[in-house]
Amino acid sequence: MIELYRVSKVVPSGAEMLTILQPLDMTIPGGQFVAVVGPSGSGKSTLLGLIAGLDAPTAGEIRIDGQPITAMNEDSLAELRGNKIGFIFQSFHLIPSLTALENIMVPMEIAGVRDAQRRARHLLEDVDLIARSHHYPSQLSGGEQQRVAIAQAFANDPSIMLADEPTGNLDSHNGRHVFELMVEMNRKRNATLVLVTHDHELAALADRRISLRDGRVVSDSDSVELEEEQTLEATRS
Amino acid sequence: MRFILQMARREIRASWRRLLFFFACIAVGVGAIAAGRSMLQNAHSAMTSEARNLLTADVQLDSGRPWEPEALSLIDKVTTPIALGKTETIESPTMARPADSAHEGAMMVELKGIDSAFPLVGDFTLTDGRSFDYSLIQNNGAVASVSLLDRLQLKVGDEVKIGVTTFQVRATIDQEPGRGAGFRIGPRVFIERSALEGAGLTGFGSRARRKLLFTVPEDKMGPMVRQLREGLRNNLINVRSYRDSQENLNESFSRAEDYSSLTGLVILVLGGIGISNVTRVFIEQKRKAIAVLKCIGATGRRITVAYLAQVITMGVVGSAFGVLFGKAVLLLIQGVFSDKLPPYMTYGLRASAAAQGVAVGIMISILFSALPLLHIRHIRPNVLLRDNSASKQGRFDLLRWSVAVFVILGLLFVVSWQGGGVRVGLIFLGGLVVAAGALYAGATLLIFLVRRTRSLTSFALRQAINSLHRPGNQTRIIVMVVGLGVFAVLSVQSLQTNFIHELDRGRTGDLPDMFLIDIQTDQSQGVSDIVTETMGTPPILVPTVRTRIVAINGKDIDLNEAEVKRERGRLGREYVVTYRPNLEKNESIVAGKFWDPTPSPDAEVSIEESLRGVSGLEVGGEISFDVQGHKLVARVTSVRHVDWRNSRTGFVILFRPGTLEKAPQMMVGALNGPSGEVERSRFQRTLVDKFPNISVIDVADVARAIERIINNITLAVSFVASFVLLTGALILIGSLAMTKFQRIYEVAVLKTLGAKRKVLLVILIAEYSLIGLVAGIIGSLASVGLSYSTSKWVFEIPWSFTPVVNFGGIGATIVLVTVVGTLATVDVLSRKPLATLRAQ
Repeated sequence: MIELYRVSKVVPSGAEMLTILQPLDMTIPGGQFVAVVGPSGSGKSTLLGLIAGLDAPTAGEIRIDGQPITAMNEDSLAELRGNKIGFIFQSFHLIPSLTALENIMVPMEIAGVRDAQRRARHLLEDVDLIARSHHYPSQLSGGEQQRVAIAQAFANDPSIMLADEPTGNLDSHNGRHVFELMVEMNRKRNATLVLVTHDHELAALADRRISLRDGRVVSDSDSVELEEEQTLEATRS
Repeated sequence: MRFILQMARREIRASWRRLLFFFACIAVGVGAIAAGRSMLQNAHSAMTSEARNLLTADVQLDSGRPWEPEALSLIDKVTTPIALGKTETIESPTMARPADSAHEGAMMVELKGIDSAFPLVGDFTLTDGRSFDYSLIQNNGAVASVSLLDRLQLKVGDEVKIGVTTFQVRATIDQEPGRGAGFRIGPRVFIERSALEGAGLTGFGSRARRKLLFTVPEDKMGPMVRQLREGLRNNLINVRSYRDSQENLNESFSRAEDYSSLTGLVILVLGGIGISNVTRVFIEQKRKAIAVLKCIGATGRRITVAYLAQVITMGVVGSAFGVLFGKAVLLLIQGVFSDKLPPYMTYGLRASAAAQGVAVGIMISILFSALPLLHIRHIRPNVLLRDNSASKQGRFDLLRWSVAVFVILGLLFVVSWQGGGVRVGLIFLGGLVVAAGALYAGATLLIFLVRRTRSLTSFALRQAINSLHRPGNQTRIIVMVVGLGVFAVLSVQSLQTNFIHELDRGRTGDLPDMFLIDIQTDQSQGVSDIVTETMGTPPILVPTVRTRIVAINGKDIDLNEAEVKRERGRLGREYVVTYRPNLEKNESIVAGKFWDPTPSPDAEVSIEESLRGVSGLEVGGEISFDVQGHKLVARVTSVRHVDWRNSRTGFVILFRPGTLEKAPQMMVGALNGPSGEVERSRFQRTLVDKFPNISVIDVADVARAIERIINNITLAVSFVASFVLLTGALILIGSLAMTKFQRIYEVAVLKTLGAKRKVLLVILIAEYSLIGLVAGIIGSLASVGLSYSTSKWVFEIPWSFTPVVNFGGIGATIVLVTVVGTLATVDVLSRKPLATLRAQ
């Protein structure tokens, strides 16, 4: 379960302070698939980064499975991510000096998993890239790199999967394929999935949709309500 | 642990090419240490094992005077029951000339008179392959160095005159027992000892040295030496065993080894600075990969350790290559310098030297990469979401400061260990920091000035100047290290040129270029006549008296006393003194008052400043002299500074006229000889034909010998300095490899904007030429400073600017840096721009 209490984020911007997230409260129960939508600069990625402990909030508290993470130091946060959280980025962020197989092995090696290589091979099979296991990221297409990144994110069977516009750098065909793969793998593991996306079609497939604008939650509803809101938005525009 | 090792292995696999050149710096430094230490350890063990051969005996007694009967009887009493073998030699520098008057020339030789038992120890071989046989020199025979025959254009079988006797040269020397690598004033000639005494060369005033040589059982050597020293304590007889030589060698070699190691350490520290920079740039380039690792659960500490493991591995590999490089250097030394080094020298790589080199190499790698690696802690994983993070650093980072202190202490440990003491370590580190800081500041200033000229019309030049400021380009570091190498090479070259100028001045200036020694007083007129006849002017003849100091301020000199031993060079020697009423032009009084020109029956002396303070000697003090067996007490009335460079004849002790005139004396003559080599040789011949006991020191010959030594030293120092330059070139290549991707991108953009390959090549060449120019100027300026200050204050020779060396050095640096830099990066010009731009 993910819990946020009065979490805000303010960053310096030149001589002034810029509020990226207004104080917000939120609870995401275990196993839920949540889509976070909103225009650029609305604070979606920041929210995701805060949940992953990649950044610290300016105020408020975040709890992962009941454990407050706000006061944790960098190393404890890294361990938490290694055990509980998987992260998929828009621009893949694979380590260029490692092969596809090694990129998947690394999180398991960090966690001290014994049969990392065998498990990494299974994950590569899951994402249908076993034939490219010894290829470096620069030798893979964008779609392939993102599939490797998904396999990497699922390596330690995290209970929470965070995805920051995972299809944003891909064409629609590849994007769809990657999305389905990610959702499918997530369902199999019954993990919580928080997806930041611009794509309303993809968002519509989530259990719940949270809409952000200027750092505020403007709506938080299940899929049916989302569709209604979508129609309403379309009418306004 | 598994993760750490795996990551280190994978990172090395991916980036070893980029890091290669920096670890090559480690290899060069380790190689220099391993080769330098091995070379000196080899020389040490060769000379230690040769110590007995070099002494040609187990125990040697030597004296500059004829043996006194009491001393001889004591020596006999002590040695006869113990000694297994005994022989006596006399050595004297003197003149040799062809006996046949049809042959011209005369030259100074080092004559050695020996007995049939010589050598007690060691090999004596001749150039025709035979061993020396005493019968060769019996009945006025001689065995001589090949160079004597070459110089006098003689052959085996011809005759030479030495003193008043004619000797037939019956063989030439290949290997002489006791021949070290030291300076010699002339070729060696062996004759019978009795013949040497009969040649009139051992009479009054001669400079013959007598040696008594013994072989003794090993266990009795120590007690015998002690007994002899005790019994002969107040004679000027030096007692020495080959064990003493070994002990002296141990001390000097251990010091030499430490100093040589410091040279290697300079290279390693410079390489270390390069490593520190490359690690910083490397970590900066790995920012995203590190953020990814943090994102998937790796702690900063584990990532840091993984990269540290990578550095250590490359340090080990670099050091291992350094050992191979050291071996190659030793082979090179053997190939190039073996004719200048003793024949018994070996050239193997020593295990302990290699181990020290490797240990130092690894330590330097760790110490210099520690601080940049700490930066990993500050890389936040959120750079993956928003790459706007100038990595956040706290106000006071305790760990960083602790590591910095650890690094400094670690460096001090390494330097003190290699330099043989904390004091040397502190001085070395301090000196290095000052020198590197000055060069770095100079480089910064010059690059700043170059940047001010960006308004130039040439696009290529403007672009080249901008390139100097490319992020991660390490321009200042390259300039500093290359500059340091240039500085070392040019300093030694400039000093060499100034030394040779000084020698030339000695040969061609107003100062006398020929000295006549051992002139007896009754020969003065005859010598003066010959000189006047040849040169038109008479020589300056100065009376000299041989004395030794027996007491200072009433206290007897005990040669076994600690302080006296320390001052043995000043107190335990014989002084040649003179007397005159006035000061010479090159002398000035620094304390006391110089005497009136009138003779005085009360003995007064003026001492040269080097003697001041020895055993408390000051103005007003008293020195007791032994003048040919007579005691003479003289009061010190003044202290003089003598400008030795401008001296015709210089004396440490000068007497006031009135007391020494009656003492037995010899004359020394100074003159300007004829200018041509043939005429000089002919003149010497005429003089020695008439007065065979007189020796002629030809400044031209001495200068030639010194020049040879200076050239050898210059060659050796330049050889070492070239390693520093090599390090500079390696850092240059390494830094270019590190920033190549930026260069590729810039070239792609410029090509897209229409720049042709020729223009791009000009930009590259201009950039490297600028770096070379700045490094050359920095190194050259620093070398001017060093050569000026050492000339003026250390060697006390006049200094002049050496334009050929300095401007030539700057030119050579530009060429070196441009060629190395262009070759290392010219391939970026051939890349297609589209692929590069797409990848960005």
